[in-house]
Amino acid sequence: MVEIGLEELYSDIILDYAKNERYKKEIKNAKKAEGKNLSCGDEITLYLKVEDNIIKEITFTGHGCIISQASASMMCEYLERKTVDEANKIFQEIIKMSQGKEFDKELVDGIEIFSDISKFPMRTKCFTLAWHTLDEALNGENV
Amino acid sequence: MLSSKEYEEIFPALKRKINGHKLIYLDNAATTLRPKEVMDAVNEYSLNHHANVHRSTHTLAAEATQYYEDARSKVANFINAEAKEVIFTKGATESLNLIAYSVAVSNILQSDDEILISTIEHHANFVPWQQISKIFNLKIKYYSAKNGIFDLSDFLKHVTNKTKLVSITALSNVTGQLIPVNTLVKQLRNIRQDIIIVVDGAQAVPHMPIDVKNMDCDFLAFSGHKMLGPTGIGVLYGKRKYLNMMTPFLFGGEMIDKVSTDGTTFNVLPYKFEAGTPNVDGAVGLAKAIEILESIGMDNIQDHDKQLTLYALKKLKELDFLEVFGPQDETQQSIISFNIKGVHPHDVAHLLNDLTGVAIRSGHHCAQPLMKEFGTTATCRVSFYLYNEEEDVDKLCEGLKKVWEWLK
Repeated sequence: MVEIGLEELYSDIILDYAKNERYKKEIKNAKKAEGKNLSCGDEITLYLKVEDNIIKEITFTGHGCIISQASASMMCEYLERKTVDEANKIFQEIIKMSQGKEFDKELVDGIEIFSDISKFPMRTKCFTLAWHTLDEALNGENV
Repeated sequence: MLSSKEYEEIFPALKRKINGHKLIYLDNAATTLRPKEVMDAVNEYSLNHHANVHRSTHTLAAEATQYYEDARSKVANFINAEAKEVIFTKGATESLNLIAYSVAVSNILQSDDEILISTIEHHANFVPWQQISKIFNLKIKYYSAKNGIFDLSDFLKHVTNKTKLVSITALSNVTGQLIPVNTLVKQLRNIRQDIIIVVDGAQAVPHMPIDVKNMDCDFLAFSGHKMLGPTGIGVLYGKRKYLNMMTPFLFGGEMIDKVSTDGTTFNVLPYKFEAGTPNVDGAVGLAKAIEILESIGMDNIQDHDKQLTLYALKKLKELDFLEVFGPQDETQQSIISFNIKGVHPHDVAHLLNDLTGVAIRSGHHCAQPLMKEFGTTATCRVSFYLYNEEEDVDKLCEGLKKVWEWLK
């Protein structure tokens, strides 16, 4: 049973996103937030350009496993041109999904490809690293 | 050594299936599986004899005290120490923190003295020294192990006439490199008799015979749960002369002699360092674990682990998509670190588990300075114990090929 989930977790789409370098770059003079998974040493820096409450540009740098890298690049692609309020709502639904709770499929959209992540509790933090960093960037005390 | 069927009876977890595959447990450097006999001993003590130790005079209290002190004697005998020199702690980490804090606060280390440690250390033998040196304004020196491989003569070059304390692991928890601690101690003693030598035995003690008198170290720290015992119990061995000089790390019940508003005097060894109600269950479990290890023979365990490690090194080197770290020779024992080129260790460990039932560790293994020497942030780590066999290594290699096919 779990093996089917594993196939989905390492699907071609996710593998492609993990290798996708489109959003993997630094933006100068952008809002910045850093996230870390202390147990595995994964690190991510998120760069955000917000104008008129709209995310104009969003990128990341850092290193990590396939799940964390794919999650980050999918997140960047999805949030580009979303408002900050929308991004916050999406974040809440993503966290619900990662915990195996009911979530708003419409809001989560294509990220639903990760809906099996709650079946792999040891990997949940790989998936959510980029999202928690986003929350820091939007709502935390920024660098 | 016993057969795999016999080990399955001793360690019930070995009968488990993971996603339909037989569990192959290769994460022994993190913690070892539990023998039923150890848990039975803990249960028998807790259900029938449990009371607080060294305090009351009733029957149960006397029995509990007997169990606890018998466990101490068993540990002392196991490492050839005196019972008074064996202090029960929470684990190797607490043992090392106790030594670091206590030698600093007792002025055994003074501001001009140098502490020497290496970059191959587990964080438990790195961070306490670094922090203590900050708090007490002591000097600390780091030996950088080139490519993560410890070199004795290189290390000794860092010893100066100010070196007062050396703390070193006996076996790297990442590369499995066996550090020639006995030779190191002799050479340090030749340089200066009074250098305090601390040995982190967390990985070594479970895998080989250790004789502290013969080794002539001043302190040895290890954990129960890496040698078939329960979690939450560990040992600090210290030479009596130092333990007597040292101020206690924790203050409270049981560790005192006389207490008044004028001041407090402390109990004798080892109680001086065991404040509060101790982990008697853990001590009982550790004693039973030592019995099991002794019945198999520490020499036999060492031979078995060495041979299995050499076999695994040979097999892993045949996989050209792997990068193996460490010396990769007969100085390696029970632990091997590697990476699949271009693949994050978390992905490898997860897929190995789900596709083949092989349990390995991935991450920085609480040894970030060593990861830096390797030029990486994380590795895959396999670690063997007495119940592992060559077939487990073969399954690991088949599994790694599957993972590589999946992700390349």
